[in-house]
Amino acid sequence: MPLPATMPSTEPLLSVQGLCKTYTLPNGAKVPAVDDVDFSVAPGEVLGVVGESGSGKSTIARLVLRLIEPSAGSVRFDGQDLTALSGEGLRIVRRDMQLVFQNPHSALNGRHTILDAVAEPFRIHRLASGAELERHVDRLLDIVGLPRAFKYRYPHELSGGQKQRVCIARAVALNPKLLVLDEPTSALDVSVQAQVLKFLQELQQELNLTYVFISHDLAVVRYLCDRLLVMNRGRIVEQGESDAIFRSPREDYTRELIAAVPRLPRN
Amino acid sequence: MSALLEIKDYRLDIKTFDGRIKVLDGIDLSVERGDTLGIVGESGCGKTVLVRSVMGIGPAAGERMSGTLSFDGQSLEGLSEAGWRKLRGVRISMIFQDPMTYLNPLLTIGRQLGDVVAAHARARGKSAPSRRERRARAKDLLERVRIPDPEQCVDQFPHQLSGGMRQRVLIALALAGDPELLIADEPTTALDVTIQAQILALLRDLVTRLDLTVVMISHDVGAIAAIARRIAVMYAGVVVEQGETRALLRQPRHPYTQGLLAAIPELEGDKGELAAIPGTIPDLIAPPSGCRFHPRCSRATEICAATKPAMLSAGKDHAVACHHAFD
Repeated sequence: MPLPATMPSTEPLLSVQGLCKTYTLPNGAKVPAVDDVDFSVAPGEVLGVVGESGSGKSTIARLVLRLIEPSAGSVRFDGQDLTALSGEGLRIVRRDMQLVFQNPHSALNGRHTILDAVAEPFRIHRLASGAELERHVDRLLDIVGLPRAFKYRYPHELSGGQKQRVCIARAVALNPKLLVLDEPTSALDVSVQAQVLKFLQELQQELNLTYVFISHDLAVVRYLCDRLLVMNRGRIVEQGESDAIFRSPREDYTRELIAAVPRLPRN
Repeated sequence: MSALLEIKDYRLDIKTFDGRIKVLDGIDLSVERGDTLGIVGESGCGKTVLVRSVMGIGPAAGERMSGTLSFDGQSLEGLSEAGWRKLRGVRISMIFQDPMTYLNPLLTIGRQLGDVVAAHARARGKSAPSRRERRARAKDLLERVRIPDPEQCVDQFPHQLSGGMRQRVLIALALAGDPELLIADEPTTALDVTIQAQILALLRDLVTRLDLTVVMISHDVGAIAAIARRIAVMYAGVVVEQGETRALLRQPRHPYTQGLLAAIPELEGDKGELAAIPGTIPDLIAPPSGCRFHPRCSRATEICAATKPAMLSAGKDHAVACHHAFD
Protein backbone atom coordinates (compact mmCIF):
# COMPACT_ATOMS: atom_id res chain seq x y z
CA MET A 1 0.00 0.00 0.00
CA PRO A 2 1.66 3.27 -1.03
CA LEU A 3 1.63 5.74 1.82
CA PRO A 4 1.33 9.50 1.37
CA ALA A 5 4.57 11.19 0.37
CA THR A 6 4.40 13.38 3.45
CA MET A 7 5.53 10.43 5.57
CA PRO A 8 8.93 9.62 4.10
CA SER A 9 10.19 7.80 7.17
CA THR A 10 7.55 5.09 6.94
CA GLU A 11 7.51 4.76 3.17
CA PRO A 12 8.42 1.17 2.32
CA LEU A 13 11.70 0.61 0.54
CA LEU A 14 10.18 -2.18 -1.47
CA SER A 15 6.53 -2.65 -2.24
CA VAL A 16 5.08 -5.38 -4.35
CA GLN A 17 1.50 -5.46 -5.60
CA GLY A 18 -0.48 -8.07 -7.45
CA LEU A 19 2.72 -9.76 -8.52
CA CYS A 20 2.27 -12.83 -10.73
CA LYS A 21 4.60 -15.06 -12.68
CA THR A 22 3.07 -17.74 -14.82
CA TYR A 23 5.05 -20.25 -16.82
CA THR A 24 3.57 -22.01 -19.81
CA LEU A 25 4.45 -25.67 -20.25
CA PRO A 26 5.11 -27.16 -23.71
CA ASN A 27 1.62 -28.69 -23.61
CA GLY A 28 0.07 -25.27 -23.09
CA ALA A 29 -0.74 -25.71 -19.40
CA LYS A 30 -0.16 -22.64 -17.24
CA VAL A 31 1.80 -22.98 -14.02
CA PRO A 32 1.40 -20.03 -11.65
CA ALA A 33 4.79 -19.91 -9.88
CA VAL A 34 3.86 -16.71 -8.08
CA ASP A 35 0.19 -15.88 -7.83
CA ASP A 36 -1.07 -12.43 -6.87
CA VAL A 37 1.39 -11.55 -4.16
CA ASP A 38 1.32 -8.28 -2.17
CA PHE A 39 3.89 -7.27 0.44
CA SER A 40 6.16 -4.42 1.42
CA VAL A 41 9.42 -4.03 3.28
CA ALA A 42 10.29 -0.98 5.37
CA PRO A 43 13.82 0.44 5.34
CA GLY A 44 16.02 -1.41 7.84
CA GLU A 45 13.59 -4.29 8.12
CA VAL A 46 14.41 -7.98 7.74
CA LEU A 47 11.64 -9.81 5.92
CA GLY A 48 11.74 -13.59 5.86
CA VAL A 49 10.13 -15.56 3.02
CA VAL A 50 9.59 -19.20 3.98
CA GLY A 51 8.08 -22.09 2.14
CA GLU A 52 8.83 -25.53 0.78
CA SER A 53 10.31 -26.23 -2.63
CA GLY A 54 8.03 -25.03 -5.39
CA SER A 55 6.33 -22.47 -3.18
CA GLY A 56 7.59 -19.61 -5.34
CA LYS A 57 9.99 -18.05 -2.88
CA SER A 58 12.99 -17.96 -5.21
CA THR A 59 10.80 -16.70 -8.05
CA ILE A 60 9.86 -13.78 -5.81
CA ALA A 61 13.55 -12.99 -5.30
CA ARG A 62 14.12 -12.94 -9.03
CA LEU A 63 11.01 -10.87 -9.73
CA VAL A 64 11.88 -8.31 -7.08
CA LEU A 65 15.28 -7.76 -8.71
CA ARG A 66 13.66 -7.94 -12.14
CA LEU A 67 15.97 -10.71 -13.22
CA ILE A 68 12.84 -12.21 -14.74
CA GLU A 69 9.80 -10.35 -16.07
CA PRO A 70 6.57 -10.51 -14.10
CA SER A 71 3.40 -11.69 -15.84
CA ALA A 72 1.43 -9.05 -13.96
CA GLY A 73 1.75 -6.70 -11.03
CA SER A 74 4.19 -4.03 -9.97
CA VAL A 75 7.41 -3.78 -7.98
CA ARG A 76 8.17 -0.37 -6.48
CA PHE A 77 11.65 0.09 -5.11
CA ASP A 78 12.81 3.29 -3.42
CA GLY A 79 10.02 5.32 -4.98
CA GLN A 80 10.48 4.02 -8.53
CA ASP A 81 8.38 1.58 -10.49
CA LEU A 82 10.90 -1.10 -11.45
CA THR A 83 8.61 -2.68 -13.97
CA ALA A 84 8.60 0.58 -15.97
CA LEU A 85 12.39 0.94 -16.07
CA SER A 86 14.78 -0.35 -18.67
CA GLY A 87 18.36 0.06 -19.87
CA GLU A 88 20.47 2.64 -18.06
CA GLY A 89 17.73 3.52 -15.57
CA LEU A 90 17.41 -0.09 -14.47
CA ARG A 91 21.18 -0.50 -14.27
CA ILE A 92 21.46 2.45 -11.88
CA VAL A 93 18.65 1.23 -9.62
CA ARG A 94 20.21 -2.23 -9.49
CA ARG A 95 23.24 -0.81 -7.71
CA ASP A 96 20.98 -0.42 -4.70
CA MET A 97 19.65 -3.96 -4.75
CA GLN A 98 21.89 -6.99 -4.56
CA LEU A 99 21.46 -10.73 -4.42
CA VAL A 100 23.31 -13.45 -2.51
CA PHE A 101 22.80 -16.96 -3.86
CA GLN A 102 22.41 -20.27 -2.10
CA ASN A 103 25.49 -22.09 -3.23
CA PRO A 104 28.71 -20.16 -2.68
CA HIS A 105 30.67 -22.91 -4.42
CA SER A 106 29.08 -22.15 -7.78
CA ALA A 107 28.48 -18.41 -7.33
CA LEU A 108 32.16 -17.51 -7.72
CA ASN A 109 34.16 -17.84 -10.92
CA GLY A 110 36.87 -20.40 -10.24
CA ARG A 111 39.36 -18.62 -12.49
CA HIS A 112 38.99 -15.26 -10.77
CA THR A 113 40.84 -14.36 -7.61
CA ILE A 114 38.91 -13.07 -4.61
CA LEU A 115 40.21 -9.60 -5.55
CA ASP A 116 38.65 -9.91 -9.02
CA ALA A 117 35.39 -11.17 -7.54
CA VAL A 118 35.01 -8.36 -5.02
CA ALA A 119 36.25 -5.70 -7.46
CA GLU A 120 33.80 -6.70 -10.19
CA PRO A 121 30.87 -4.49 -9.07
CA PHE A 122 33.16 -1.42 -9.07
CA ARG A 123 34.42 -2.29 -12.54
CA ILE A 124 30.93 -2.87 -13.93
CA HIS A 125 29.68 0.46 -12.65
CA ARG A 126 33.03 2.16 -13.44
CA LEU A 127 33.28 3.53 -9.92
CA ALA A 128 36.89 2.88 -9.03
CA SER A 129 40.15 1.55 -10.41
CA GLY A 130 43.79 1.00 -9.48
CA ALA A 131 44.87 1.68 -5.93
CA GLU A 132 41.49 3.12 -4.99
CA LEU A 133 39.78 -0.07 -6.10
CA GLU A 134 42.18 -2.14 -4.05
CA ARG A 135 41.41 0.02 -1.00
CA HIS A 136 37.70 -0.65 -1.49
CA VAL A 137 38.36 -4.40 -1.67
CA ASP A 138 40.44 -4.28 1.53
CA ARG A 139 37.67 -2.42 3.31
CA LEU A 140 35.09 -4.97 2.18
CA LEU A 141 37.22 -7.91 3.26
CA ASP A 142 37.55 -6.19 6.66
CA ILE A 143 33.78 -5.85 6.85
CA VAL A 144 33.15 -9.53 6.17
CA GLY A 145 35.98 -10.56 8.49
CA LEU A 146 38.34 -12.15 5.99
CA PRO A 147 42.11 -11.56 6.02
CA ARG A 148 43.21 -9.08 3.34
CA ALA A 149 45.72 -11.65 2.08
CA PHE A 150 42.76 -13.64 0.76
CA LYS A 151 42.68 -11.19 -2.18
CA TYR A 152 45.21 -13.28 -4.03
CA ARG A 153 43.51 -16.58 -3.39
CA TYR A 154 41.19 -18.50 -5.67
CA PRO A 155 37.76 -19.77 -4.59
CA HIS A 156 38.92 -23.40 -4.29
CA GLU A 157 41.35 -22.33 -1.56
CA LEU A 158 38.48 -21.10 0.63
CA SER A 159 35.96 -22.97 2.76
CA GLY A 160 32.21 -22.75 2.11
CA GLY A 161 31.64 -20.18 4.85
CA GLN A 162 34.55 -18.08 3.60
CA LYS A 163 33.22 -18.19 0.04
CA GLN A 164 29.79 -17.09 1.24
CA ARG A 165 31.48 -14.14 2.98
CA VAL A 166 33.12 -13.22 -0.33
CA CYS A 167 29.71 -13.34 -2.03
CA ILE A 168 28.31 -11.08 0.69
CA ALA A 169 31.28 -8.69 0.36
CA ARG A 170 30.54 -8.43 -3.35
CA ALA A 171 26.86 -7.86 -2.71
CA VAL A 172 27.43 -5.01 -0.24
CA ALA A 173 30.28 -3.48 -2.30
CA LEU A 174 28.22 -0.61 -3.73
CA ASN A 175 26.39 0.21 -0.48
CA PRO A 176 23.08 -1.23 -1.60
CA LYS A 177 19.87 -0.43 0.23
CA LEU A 178 18.36 -3.87 -0.24
CA LEU A 179 19.98 -7.28 0.01
CA VAL A 180 18.02 -10.28 -1.24
CA LEU A 181 19.46 -13.44 0.30
CA ASP A 182 18.27 -16.65 -1.34
CA GLU A 183 18.96 -19.51 1.09
CA PRO A 184 22.39 -18.09 1.93
CA THR A 185 23.22 -20.70 4.58
CA SER A 186 21.57 -23.85 3.19
CA ALA A 187 24.79 -25.17 1.70
CA LEU A 188 26.74 -24.62 4.91
CA ASP A 189 27.35 -26.75 7.99
CA VAL A 190 25.53 -25.67 11.15
CA SER A 191 28.58 -24.31 12.94
CA VAL A 192 29.47 -22.30 9.83
CA GLN A 193 25.84 -21.30 9.37
CA ALA A 194 25.90 -19.85 12.89
CA GLN A 195 28.96 -17.76 11.94
CA VAL A 196 27.31 -16.46 8.76
CA LEU A 197 23.96 -15.73 10.48
CA LYS A 198 25.61 -13.79 13.29
CA PHE A 199 27.66 -11.90 10.76
CA LEU A 200 24.59 -11.08 8.61
CA GLN A 201 22.81 -9.78 11.68
CA GLU A 202 25.72 -7.53 12.67
CA LEU A 203 26.14 -6.31 9.10
CA GLN A 204 22.47 -5.43 8.84
CA GLN A 205 22.63 -3.35 12.00
CA GLU A 206 25.95 -1.75 11.11
CA LEU A 207 25.01 -0.70 7.58
CA ASN A 208 21.28 -0.30 8.29
CA LEU A 209 20.50 -2.70 5.45
CA THR A 210 17.13 -4.03 4.43
CA TYR A 211 16.99 -7.79 3.88
CA VAL A 212 14.63 -10.06 2.04
CA PHE A 213 15.74 -13.39 3.46
CA ILE A 214 14.51 -16.48 1.64
CA SER A 215 14.76 -19.82 3.39
CA HIS A 216 13.13 -23.18 3.91
CA ASP A 217 14.62 -23.37 7.41
CA LEU A 218 12.13 -22.02 9.92
CA ALA A 219 14.53 -21.83 12.83
CA VAL A 220 16.98 -19.76 10.78
CA VAL A 221 14.21 -17.37 9.74
CA ARG A 222 13.01 -17.08 13.31
CA TYR A 223 16.50 -16.13 14.42
CA LEU A 224 17.04 -13.41 11.84
CA CYS A 225 13.74 -11.94 10.65
CA ASP A 226 11.42 -9.23 11.96
CA ARG A 227 8.54 -10.11 9.69
CA LEU A 228 7.57 -13.22 7.78
CA LEU A 229 5.80 -14.31 4.62
CA VAL A 230 4.74 -17.94 4.60
CA MET A 231 4.37 -19.17 1.02
CA ASN A 232 2.66 -22.20 -0.42
CA ARG A 233 2.07 -22.95 -4.10
CA GLY A 234 2.85 -19.43 -5.23
CA ARG A 235 0.58 -17.71 -2.74
CA ILE A 236 1.17 -15.99 0.58
CA VAL A 237 -0.53 -18.14 3.19
CA GLU A 238 0.23 -15.94 6.14
CA GLN A 239 2.23 -12.82 6.88
CA GLY A 240 3.02 -10.91 10.01
CA GLU A 241 5.47 -10.35 12.85
CA SER A 242 7.87 -13.28 13.00
CA ASP A 243 7.54 -13.78 16.77
CA ALA A 244 3.75 -13.69 16.58
CA ILE A 245 3.62 -16.26 13.79
CA PHE A 246 5.85 -18.67 15.68
CA ARG A 247 3.93 -18.12 18.91
CA SER A 248 0.46 -18.55 17.43
CA PRO A 249 0.29 -19.40 13.73
CA ARG A 250 -3.16 -18.62 12.30
CA GLU A 251 -3.12 -20.90 9.28
CA ASP A 252 -3.12 -24.70 9.26
CA TYR A 253 -0.34 -24.78 6.69
CA THR A 254 1.96 -22.68 8.89
CA ARG A 255 1.15 -24.88 11.88
CA GLU A 256 1.91 -28.00 9.87
CA LEU A 257 5.20 -26.52 8.67
CA ILE A 258 6.31 -25.60 12.18
CA ALA A 259 5.22 -28.95 13.60
CA ALA A 260 7.16 -30.89 10.95
CA VAL A 261 10.56 -29.68 12.13
CA PRO A 262 12.19 -32.31 14.35
CA ARG A 263 12.86 -31.02 17.87
CA LEU A 264 15.90 -31.66 19.97
CA PRO A 265 15.54 -32.84 23.51
CA ARG A 266 17.02 -29.96 25.50
CA ASN A 267 17.29 -29.01 29.11
CA MET B 1 21.42 -58.40 22.26
CA SER B 2 24.72 -59.11 20.52
CA ALA B 3 26.73 -56.69 18.42
CA LEU B 4 25.68 -56.96 14.79
CA LEU B 5 28.24 -54.43 13.65
CA GLU B 6 31.55 -53.99 15.41
CA ILE B 7 34.11 -51.37 14.45
CA LYS B 8 37.38 -51.48 16.36
CA ASP B 9 40.21 -48.96 16.15
CA TYR B 10 39.42 -48.42 12.49
CA ARG B 11 41.79 -46.12 10.62
CA LEU B 12 41.64 -45.03 7.03
CA ASP B 13 44.04 -42.92 5.00
CA ILE B 14 43.34 -41.84 1.46
CA LYS B 15 46.27 -41.04 -0.77
CA THR B 16 45.96 -37.87 -2.82
CA PHE B 17 48.39 -35.74 -4.80
CA ASP B 18 48.80 -33.46 -1.80
CA GLY B 19 49.56 -36.23 0.65
CA ARG B 20 47.79 -38.80 2.79
CA ILE B 21 44.49 -37.61 4.22
CA LYS B 22 43.98 -39.19 7.62
CA VAL B 23 40.25 -39.53 7.14
CA LEU B 24 39.43 -41.81 10.06
CA ASP B 25 41.53 -42.07 13.18
CA GLY B 26 40.74 -44.97 15.45
CA ILE B 27 36.97 -45.36 15.29
CA ASP B 28 35.37 -47.63 17.90
CA LEU B 29 31.67 -48.22 17.48
CA SER B 30 29.41 -51.13 18.01
CA VAL B 31 25.78 -51.56 17.06
CA GLU B 32 23.68 -54.17 18.79
CA ARG B 33 21.14 -56.17 16.82
CA GLY B 34 17.84 -54.29 16.73
CA ASP B 35 19.40 -51.01 17.79
CA THR B 36 19.42 -47.66 15.98
CA LEU B 37 22.61 -45.62 15.90
CA GLY B 38 22.81 -42.08 14.56
CA ILE B 39 26.16 -40.70 13.49
CA VAL B 40 26.22 -36.90 13.54
CA GLY B 41 28.92 -34.70 12.14
CA GLU B 42 29.64 -31.86 9.78
CA SER B 43 30.94 -32.22 6.24
CA GLY B 44 34.37 -33.80 6.07
CA CYS B 45 34.14 -35.50 9.45
CA GLY B 46 34.36 -38.93 7.82
CA LYS B 47 30.87 -40.22 8.54
CA THR B 48 30.08 -41.16 4.94
CA VAL B 49 33.48 -42.78 4.35
CA LEU B 50 32.95 -44.82 7.50
CA VAL B 51 29.59 -46.28 6.50
CA ARG B 52 30.80 -46.83 2.95
CA SER B 53 33.59 -48.98 4.39
CA VAL B 54 30.92 -51.03 6.13
CA MET B 55 29.19 -51.49 2.77
CA GLY B 56 32.46 -52.41 1.04
CA ILE B 57 32.16 -49.40 -1.24
CA GLY B 58 34.94 -47.41 0.39
CA PRO B 59 37.35 -45.37 -1.69
CA ALA B 60 39.20 -48.00 -3.66
CA ALA B 61 42.34 -46.24 -4.82
CA GLY B 62 45.18 -45.30 -2.53
CA GLU B 63 43.61 -46.26 0.75
CA ARG B 64 45.38 -47.72 3.73
CA MET B 65 43.54 -49.01 6.70
CA SER B 66 43.99 -50.76 9.98
CA GLY B 67 41.70 -51.94 12.73
CA THR B 68 38.74 -54.23 12.27
CA LEU B 69 35.25 -54.11 10.86
CA SER B 70 33.05 -57.07 11.55
CA PHE B 71 29.47 -57.89 10.74
CA ASP B 72 27.65 -60.57 12.72
CA GLY B 73 30.97 -61.91 13.95
CA GLN B 74 32.46 -62.09 10.44
CA SER B 75 35.43 -59.91 9.57
CA LEU B 76 34.89 -57.70 6.55
CA GLU B 77 38.56 -57.37 5.76
CA GLY B 78 39.91 -59.09 2.72
CA LEU B 79 36.41 -60.18 1.83
CA SER B 80 36.29 -61.20 -1.82
CA GLU B 81 33.88 -59.55 -4.23
CA ALA B 82 31.90 -62.81 -4.18
CA GLY B 83 31.81 -62.58 -0.39
CA TRP B 84 30.63 -58.98 -0.56
CA ARG B 85 27.87 -59.97 -2.94
CA LYS B 86 26.43 -62.21 -0.25
CA LEU B 87 26.37 -59.28 2.19
CA ARG B 88 25.96 -56.05 0.29
CA GLY B 89 22.35 -55.26 -0.48
CA VAL B 90 21.40 -58.64 0.98
CA ARG B 91 22.23 -58.53 4.68
CA ILE B 92 23.53 -54.93 4.75
CA SER B 93 21.64 -52.40 2.71
CA MET B 94 21.91 -48.68 2.18
CA ILE B 95 19.74 -45.70 1.30
CA PHE B 96 21.33 -42.60 -0.10
CA GLN B 97 20.88 -38.88 0.21
CA ASP B 98 19.56 -37.77 -3.13
CA PRO B 99 16.52 -39.69 -4.35
CA MET B 100 16.75 -37.90 -7.68
CA THR B 101 20.02 -39.46 -8.78
CA TYR B 102 19.82 -43.06 -7.64
CA LEU B 103 16.96 -44.19 -9.84
CA ASN B 104 17.27 -44.93 -13.54
CA PRO B 105 15.08 -42.38 -15.34
CA LEU B 106 14.47 -44.73 -18.27
CA LEU B 107 13.05 -47.71 -16.40
CA THR B 108 9.76 -48.06 -14.57
CA ILE B 109 9.76 -48.36 -10.79
CA GLY B 110 8.45 -51.92 -11.13
CA ARG B 111 11.27 -52.91 -13.45
CA GLN B 112 13.93 -51.43 -11.15
CA LEU B 113 12.50 -53.17 -8.09
CA GLY B 114 12.04 -56.39 -10.09
CA ASP B 115 15.69 -56.40 -11.19
CA VAL B 116 16.83 -56.06 -7.59
CA VAL B 117 14.47 -58.83 -6.48
CA ALA B 118 15.90 -61.09 -9.21
CA ALA B 119 19.47 -60.21 -8.21
CA HIS B 120 18.75 -61.13 -4.61
CA ALA B 121 17.26 -64.44 -5.67
CA ARG B 122 20.46 -65.16 -7.62
CA ALA B 123 22.62 -64.13 -4.65
CA ARG B 124 20.73 -66.57 -2.46
CA GLY B 125 21.14 -69.33 -5.04
CA LYS B 126 17.43 -69.52 -5.85
CA SER B 127 15.92 -69.81 -9.30
CA ALA B 128 15.06 -66.59 -11.11
CA PRO B 129 11.59 -65.30 -10.22
CA SER B 130 9.06 -65.08 -13.04
CA ARG B 131 7.89 -61.75 -14.39
CA ARG B 132 4.67 -62.12 -12.41
CA GLU B 133 6.53 -62.94 -9.20
CA ARG B 134 8.80 -59.95 -9.63
CA ARG B 135 5.86 -57.62 -10.17
CA ALA B 136 4.02 -59.00 -7.15
CA ARG B 137 7.11 -58.64 -4.98
CA ALA B 138 7.66 -55.06 -6.26
CA LYS B 139 4.09 -54.13 -5.28
CA ASP B 140 4.57 -55.78 -1.94
CA LEU B 141 7.71 -53.71 -1.30
CA LEU B 142 5.99 -50.49 -2.35
CA GLU B 143 3.17 -51.28 0.03
CA ARG B 144 5.67 -51.81 2.79
CA VAL B 145 6.98 -48.24 2.36
CA ARG B 146 3.38 -46.94 2.35
CA ILE B 147 3.15 -45.84 -1.26
CA PRO B 148 -0.56 -45.07 -1.64
CA ASP B 149 -1.20 -46.85 -4.94
CA PRO B 150 1.44 -49.56 -5.58
CA GLU B 151 -0.49 -50.95 -8.54
CA GLN B 152 -0.10 -47.64 -10.37
CA CYS B 153 3.39 -46.92 -9.05
CA VAL B 154 5.03 -50.06 -10.52
CA ASP B 155 4.28 -48.78 -14.02
CA GLN B 156 5.47 -45.24 -13.38
CA PHE B 157 8.82 -43.66 -14.21
CA PRO B 158 10.88 -41.80 -11.59
CA HIS B 159 10.06 -38.36 -13.04
CA GLN B 160 6.37 -38.98 -12.39
CA LEU B 161 7.03 -39.25 -8.64
CA SER B 162 7.68 -36.52 -6.11
CA GLY B 163 10.92 -36.40 -4.13
CA GLY B 164 9.29 -37.98 -1.09
CA MET B 165 7.81 -40.81 -3.16
CA ARG B 166 11.18 -41.42 -4.83
CA GLN B 167 12.83 -41.66 -1.42
CA ARG B 168 10.20 -44.25 -0.49
CA VAL B 169 11.08 -46.21 -3.64
CA LEU B 170 14.76 -46.09 -2.65
CA ILE B 171 13.85 -47.42 0.77
CA ALA B 172 11.82 -50.18 -0.91
CA LEU B 173 14.87 -51.05 -3.04
CA ALA B 174 17.01 -51.22 0.09
CA LEU B 175 14.48 -53.53 1.76
CA ALA B 176 14.22 -55.88 -1.24
CA GLY B 177 16.81 -58.30 0.15
CA ASP B 178 15.32 -58.38 3.66
CA PRO B 179 18.46 -56.84 5.15
CA GLU B 180 19.41 -57.09 8.81
CA LEU B 181 21.37 -53.84 8.80
CA LEU B 182 20.09 -50.73 7.05
CA ILE B 183 22.46 -47.84 6.53
CA ALA B 184 20.80 -44.50 5.81
CA ASP B 185 23.10 -41.75 4.52
CA GLU B 186 21.35 -38.38 5.00
CA PRO B 187 18.03 -39.92 3.93
CA THR B 188 16.01 -36.73 4.41
CA THR B 189 18.48 -33.96 3.63
CA ALA B 190 17.19 -33.32 0.12
CA LEU B 191 13.56 -33.23 1.20
CA ASP B 192 11.16 -30.53 2.39
CA VAL B 193 10.39 -30.48 6.12
CA THR B 194 6.88 -31.89 5.86
CA ILE B 195 8.12 -34.71 3.60
CA GLN B 196 11.10 -35.23 5.89
CA ALA B 197 8.72 -35.74 8.80
CA GLN B 198 6.85 -38.41 6.79
CA ILE B 199 10.03 -40.27 5.81
CA LEU B 200 11.34 -40.17 9.39
CA ALA B 201 8.03 -41.58 10.60
CA LEU B 202 8.22 -44.33 7.96
CA LEU B 203 11.77 -45.25 9.00
CA ARG B 204 10.76 -45.39 12.66
CA ASP B 205 7.85 -47.60 11.76
CA LEU B 206 10.01 -49.94 9.61
CA VAL B 207 12.54 -50.33 12.40
CA THR B 208 9.91 -51.74 14.73
CA ARG B 209 7.90 -53.67 12.13
CA LEU B 210 10.83 -55.37 10.38
CA ASP B 211 13.13 -55.65 13.37
CA LEU B 212 15.84 -53.76 11.50
CA THR B 213 19.16 -52.59 12.84
CA VAL B 214 19.80 -49.07 11.58
CA VAL B 215 22.82 -46.83 11.23
CA MET B 216 21.75 -43.38 10.08
CA ILE B 217 24.19 -40.61 9.34
CA SER B 218 23.31 -36.95 9.07
CA HIS B 219 24.52 -33.46 9.74
CA ASP B 220 21.01 -32.73 11.05
CA VAL B 221 20.92 -33.49 14.76
CA GLY B 222 17.13 -33.07 14.80
CA ALA B 223 16.58 -35.73 12.12
CA ILE B 224 18.97 -38.11 13.90
CA ALA B 225 17.27 -37.55 17.24
CA ALA B 226 13.95 -38.50 15.64
CA ILE B 227 15.27 -41.97 14.74
CA ALA B 228 18.25 -42.99 16.80
CA ARG B 229 18.28 -44.57 20.25
CA ARG B 230 22.01 -43.92 20.43
CA ILE B 231 24.11 -41.13 18.94
CA ALA B 232 27.79 -40.93 18.02
CA VAL B 233 29.24 -37.49 17.34
CA MET B 234 32.13 -37.35 14.88
CA TYR B 235 34.64 -34.57 14.39
CA ALA B 236 37.54 -34.66 11.91
CA GLY B 237 37.65 -38.44 11.66
CA VAL B 238 37.21 -39.18 15.36
CA VAL B 239 34.20 -40.21 17.44
CA VAL B 240 34.31 -37.58 20.19
CA GLU B 241 31.24 -38.59 22.13
CA GLN B 242 28.63 -41.32 22.08
CA GLY B 243 25.70 -42.40 24.15
CA GLU B 244 21.97 -42.72 24.55
CA THR B 245 20.29 -39.98 22.49
CA ARG B 246 18.41 -38.11 25.19
CA ALA B 247 21.19 -38.22 27.75
CA LEU B 248 23.76 -37.08 25.24
CA LEU B 249 21.70 -34.20 23.87
CA ARG B 250 20.52 -33.05 27.28
CA GLN B 251 23.96 -33.20 28.81
CA PRO B 252 26.61 -33.04 26.11
CA ARG B 253 30.08 -33.43 27.59
CA HIS B 254 32.40 -32.81 24.68
CA PRO B 255 33.12 -29.15 23.86
CA TYR B 256 32.50 -29.90 20.17
CA THR B 257 29.10 -31.46 20.86
CA GLN B 258 28.24 -28.51 23.08
CA GLY B 259 29.36 -26.09 20.35
CA LEU B 260 27.42 -27.94 17.67
CA LEU B 261 24.20 -27.88 19.69
CA ALA B 262 24.63 -24.21 20.60
CA ALA B 263 25.04 -23.36 16.89
CA ILE B 264 21.59 -24.72 16.00
CA PRO B 265 18.93 -21.98 15.97
CA GLU B 266 15.92 -22.79 18.17
CA LEU B 267 12.31 -23.02 17.01
CA GLU B 268 10.87 -22.56 20.47
CA GLY B 269 11.55 -20.58 23.59
CA ASP B 270 14.16 -17.89 23.94
CA LYS B 271 15.88 -17.05 20.67
CA GLY B 272 19.05 -16.35 22.60
CA GLU B 273 22.40 -15.89 20.96
CA LEU B 274 23.74 -18.28 18.39
CA ALA B 275 27.15 -19.48 19.40
CA ALA B 276 29.45 -20.15 16.47
CA ILE B 277 32.42 -22.46 16.86
CA PRO B 278 35.48 -20.31 16.07
CA GLY B 279 37.82 -21.42 13.30
CA THR B 280 37.32 -24.01 10.60
CA ILE B 281 37.65 -27.78 10.33
CA PRO B 282 41.29 -28.89 10.19
CA ASP B 283 43.19 -30.06 7.15
CA LEU B 284 43.35 -33.82 7.62
CA ILE B 285 46.58 -34.17 5.68
CA ALA B 286 48.27 -32.68 8.73
CA PRO B 287 45.65 -33.07 11.46
CA PRO B 288 46.19 -31.35 14.83
CA SER B 289 48.18 -33.42 17.32
CA GLY B 290 46.52 -34.89 20.39
CA CYS B 291 42.83 -34.04 20.39
CA ARG B 292 41.88 -33.03 16.85
CA PHE B 293 39.48 -30.40 18.22
CA HIS B 294 42.02 -28.63 20.45
CA PRO B 295 42.87 -25.66 18.15
CA ARG B 296 39.19 -24.59 18.20
CA CYS B 297 38.47 -25.49 21.81
CA SER B 298 38.13 -22.87 24.55
CA ARG B 299 39.02 -25.41 27.22
CA ALA B 300 42.19 -26.69 25.55
CA THR B 301 45.36 -26.99 27.63
CA GLU B 302 48.81 -28.47 26.97
CA ILE B 303 47.69 -32.04 27.43
CA CYS B 304 45.12 -31.62 24.62
CA ALA B 305 47.84 -30.89 22.06
CA ALA B 306 50.04 -33.69 23.41
CA THR B 307 47.83 -36.76 23.84
CA LYS B 308 44.77 -38.09 22.13
CA PRO B 309 42.06 -38.36 24.80
CA ALA B 310 40.66 -41.82 25.54
CA MET B 311 36.94 -42.56 25.69
CA LEU B 312 35.83 -42.07 29.29
CA SER B 313 32.54 -43.10 30.77
CA ALA B 314 30.22 -40.17 31.45
CA GLY B 315 27.35 -42.20 32.85
CA LYS B 316 25.35 -45.24 31.87
CA ASP B 317 25.82 -45.72 28.12
CA HIS B 318 27.48 -42.34 27.61
CA ALA B 319 31.16 -41.89 26.81
CA VAL B 320 33.26 -38.92 25.86
CA ALA B 321 36.79 -38.44 24.52
CA CYS B 322 37.93 -35.23 26.18
CA HIS B 323 40.63 -34.48 28.75
CA HIS B 324 38.48 -31.79 30.31
CA ALA B 325 35.01 -33.32 30.12
CA PHE B 326 34.68 -33.46 33.89
CA ASP B 327 36.45 -30.25 34.93
